Amino acid sequence: MKKTKLGEFEELVLMTVVVLQEEAYGVEIKRELEERLNETLSVGSIQSALKRMEEKGFLTSEFGEATQKRGGKRKRIYSATPYAHRVLKEMKDVRSQLWAAMPNVATS
Amino acid sequence: MNDHLKDIRPPRWSQRLLRFFLRKEYLEEIEGDIDEVFKDCLEQNSIRKARRLYSREVIKAIRPALIKRLINTQKLNYLSMLQHNLLITFRGFRRHKTTFLINLIGLSTGLAAALLIFLWVDDERSVDTFHEKNDQLYWIKANFENDDGIITWDYTSGRLAQGLLDDFPEVEEAIRVGNGFNRPRGSIGYNENHFLANGLFVGKNFFDVMSYQLLIGNPKEVLQDKSSVLLTEWLAESIFGNAEQAIGKTISWETRFFNREFVVSGIYKAPPKNSSKRFNIILNYENLIDRDRWAGEWNGGYAQTYVVLKEGTDIDLFNQKIARYLDGKATMESFTLTLFAQQYSKNYLHGKFTNGVQDGGRIENVKLFTFIGIFILAIACINFMNLSTAQASKKLKEVGVKKAVGAKRGVLVFQFLSESVLLALISLIVSVGIVALVLPEFNAISGKSLELEFQRYALPILSIVLLTGIFAGSYPAFYLSGFKPVAVLKGTLTNLRGEEWIRKGLVVVQFGLSVIFIIGVIAINQQIKFTEQKSLGYDREAILTFRERGSKFRSPQPFFNELKKIPGVISAGNVSGDFLAGDDNNNGFSWLEGTKEDDNHLFQCPKIGFGLIETLGLEIIAGRSFSPDFQDGIHTIIINEAAAEFMEIDDPIGKTITWTDDQKMEIIGVVKNFQYGSLHNKIEPLIFQFRRSGKQYLIKMRPGTEVETIDQVQKVFEAMHPGQIFVPSLLADDYTELYHVENKVANLSNYMAGIAIIISCLGLFGLAAFTAERRAKEIGIRKILGASQLTIVGLLTKVFTKTVLVAVVIALPLGYYLVNTWLQNFAYAIELQWWFFLIAGASALFVAWLTVGFQTFRAATINPAQSLRNE
Repeated sequence: MKKTKLGEFEELVLMTVVVLQEEAYGVEIKRELEERLNETLSVGSIQSALKRMEEKGFLTSEFGEATQKRGGKRKRIYSATPYAHRVLKEMKDVRSQLWAAMPNVATS
Repeated sequence: MNDHLKDIRPPRWSQRLLRFFLRKEYLEEIEGDIDEVFKDCLEQNSIRKARRLYSREVIKAIRPALIKRLINTQKLNYLSMLQHNLLITFRGFRRHKTTFLINLIGLSTGLAAALLIFLWVDDERSVDTFHEKNDQLYWIKANFENDDGIITWDYTSGRLAQGLLDDFPEVEEAIRVGNGFNRPRGSIGYNENHFLANGLFVGKNFFDVMSYQLLIGNPKEVLQDKSSVLLTEWLAESIFGNAEQAIGKTISWETRFFNREFVVSGIYKAPPKNSSKRFNIILNYENLIDRDRWAGEWNGGYAQTYVVLKEGTDIDLFNQKIARYLDGKATMESFTLTLFAQQYSKNYLHGKFTNGVQDGGRIENVKLFTFIGIFILAIACINFMNLSTAQASKKLKEVGVKKAVGAKRGVLVFQFLSESVLLALISLIVSVGIVALVLPEFNAISGKSLELEFQRYALPILSIVLLTGIFAGSYPAFYLSGFKPVAVLKGTLTNLRGEEWIRKGLVVVQFGLSVIFIIGVIAINQQIKFTEQKSLGYDREAILTFRERGSKFRSPQPFFNELKKIPGVISAGNVSGDFLAGDDNNNGFSWLEGTKEDDNHLFQCPKIGFGLIETLGLEIIAGRSFSPDFQDGIHTIIINEAAAEFMEIDDPIGKTITWTDDQKMEIIGVVKNFQYGSLHNKIEPLIFQFRRSGKQYLIKMRPGTEVETIDQVQKVFEAMHPGQIFVPSLLADDYTELYHVENKVANLSNYMAGIAIIISCLGLFGLAAFTAERRAKEIGIRKILGASQLTIVGLLTKVFTKTVLVAVVIALPLGYYLVNTWLQNFAYAIELQWWFFLIAGASALFVAWLTVGFQTFRAATINPAQSLRNE
């Protein structure tokens, strides 16, 4: 695996970005994840994960539209880089191999 | 979304917090996100909940990844710039060693002087501020007003404390303490050993109000009993060897108030060195009342009253309320007493009142020295400014190249400032060394025990140094960084003369200050010499003085008889109170029959026994002195010339004066005017009353026999006053002690003026060296063309002479004004002589010539071939 590590929470956020496509901005990601994880998240936690991943090269971003709800401030739409897709794939492979290698005891 | 929801705003402080912390490039997005979450929440929940959510989101958004960076990438650049600057600076120091040394010596001496003054000032300002309730602790004083004006008393009635506590809700606590005239001293006896006591009568709640540290004992109990005393740890150790053993022990203590036994009930720590009150034993105030019932009456003035006011009390309002409090309580016929409160810790620095209004005090010396410190630092800074601008030409190319490469002005300013700050820091190290070295000496001169506590003073000292560095570097920094790079590199920037007037101006300031210092020093020293030599109208040489501190009224006659047997004793006398303090006075004397108008004047009124007039050598110009051959007593008085004049009595002998309604007193003599008290006071009308039992003894000794005589007097004293400790001093020394503040000021200013002058000269020396160097070619050419050495010296000296002369001309009137103001403090002051100013001006000029002369002479004697060869 690469030296650049992807944390568990980061991985979740990253996958959400991929899922949401054009709708992938801060609050939407938060909503989506909250629903899926069934817990409350803060804007700050999502944002810091996004910024960290952008710095590591998993994400790129550009400004989107501004809405009245946001007090006229623009959204920032995130999209995953090809590198991110590759890392996600690798992680999934590692996991499924491990699942395959696990004895049946664990699942009951 | 409902329309009204649009107007609901998120909590403003959270918004501000977010904007403050968040990185600029993220702000729009994240603030937008949080706004959106806020609005979403509003649609379903209450406003309060939404706002709470907003705040929570903001707090959670403050994460390392999102907030502004403390050290951003640009700072790294600054760091290497700083490194570069330091390198350049050090190279500069190494290359221009003379300049560097002059700057270093100047700045470090200046800083050392400033540091010492800072320590001194800080110590003065800290006096009495150690009380826990310092902000609320007030001293109740009284303005005594009669026809002659207002005198401010720091003492009040012994009942006032309780009265104020009962009648004014603002007063949280109140305490009475025996005043300065009622201090129990004398000696403490334990197991045949005797120890000097310096006692204080205090109220029962002493340790609640004042923050003196009680080491052993319960603050609520230790003073309840009238027969309890508390000792300082030190005194307890010297009596009992161990503080703990002292508790419960019985000691005997004899003072002029009492002679009885006390039980030690507690031990306290000696008052800290910044306490204005010093005492090594304390006891219940009621002991004073037992001795003299007036100490507990409204009409007495035996106590000092301190109160703790509730927090937030408006002191002006409180003063208005208490002003007339004594009306109707104390009987006052021909005068009024107006109460007012002054913060307790202010008494030390602001304790002087003129006509009822706070007016100077020790604060004047604090101010004086603060100014001196600032001036000395300024002089040192000016050196740095002058030398660095004078050497601008050497830095021109550096500045030009840097600017051409793209350095902004700010960067260059930063470079020059860091240079001066660095120099200031190096100077600090040197100056701390100097301070550590001279501190013992300084303490001896200033009578303090200052210490250089690094932890305590690190911050103020560092800020002084930084300020000095920035101040010194500011002008050169802006001046040097202002050059146009093109002009510099082309070499067309030759006219550096434009700035020369500033340099001259700065030299004028330096020498002006120095001249003022010199004038001040001459005046102070002359005044001191004057006070030492002024004829006081009495003799103070070879006079021994000491006090008898017993509690009983005993006739001094047997003691006098014994004293007269000592061959070295010429005469002996006694007086009540302290003769040199000059603070004994009375009113209520009436010399006009049938009228009361004249009763009110306050006469100085020392109460003396037999032999005092003879011992002091006071001259009787009419009538006679007090003598055992006559029936002298309360009904006989001697007045001074001023009193005779004041009462307008032509032939006073035999005239009668009435005192307080019924006491008739006959004037039996007139004494020549003499100085009662220090020269701060004028010679005023004075009445000697007779009192046989005065406790201060004065003995005129035969010159040359002082040592044996003092020994013999001690033996006689101890034989006749068992249990008392003989503490003799010489009247002449005590007299000098009256002026100890002036003496210290004089001593310190002598040194400070010297330092100021030395630093000024250092600067001038540097400037002269530089001028001589820059004009080396000119001098060479002049010499080749036939100029004599003298012409050259004259040429170079002329410039400096003019500058210094201007400084002298400006400084003389200023110095005159300042010194004159200072001399107003004395009732008898020296006249300012023209030669003070001549000496000050001439010595400044002379010193300047001496400094410059060395350089110019060297420049003039140099072989012209040498200076012209290399081009």
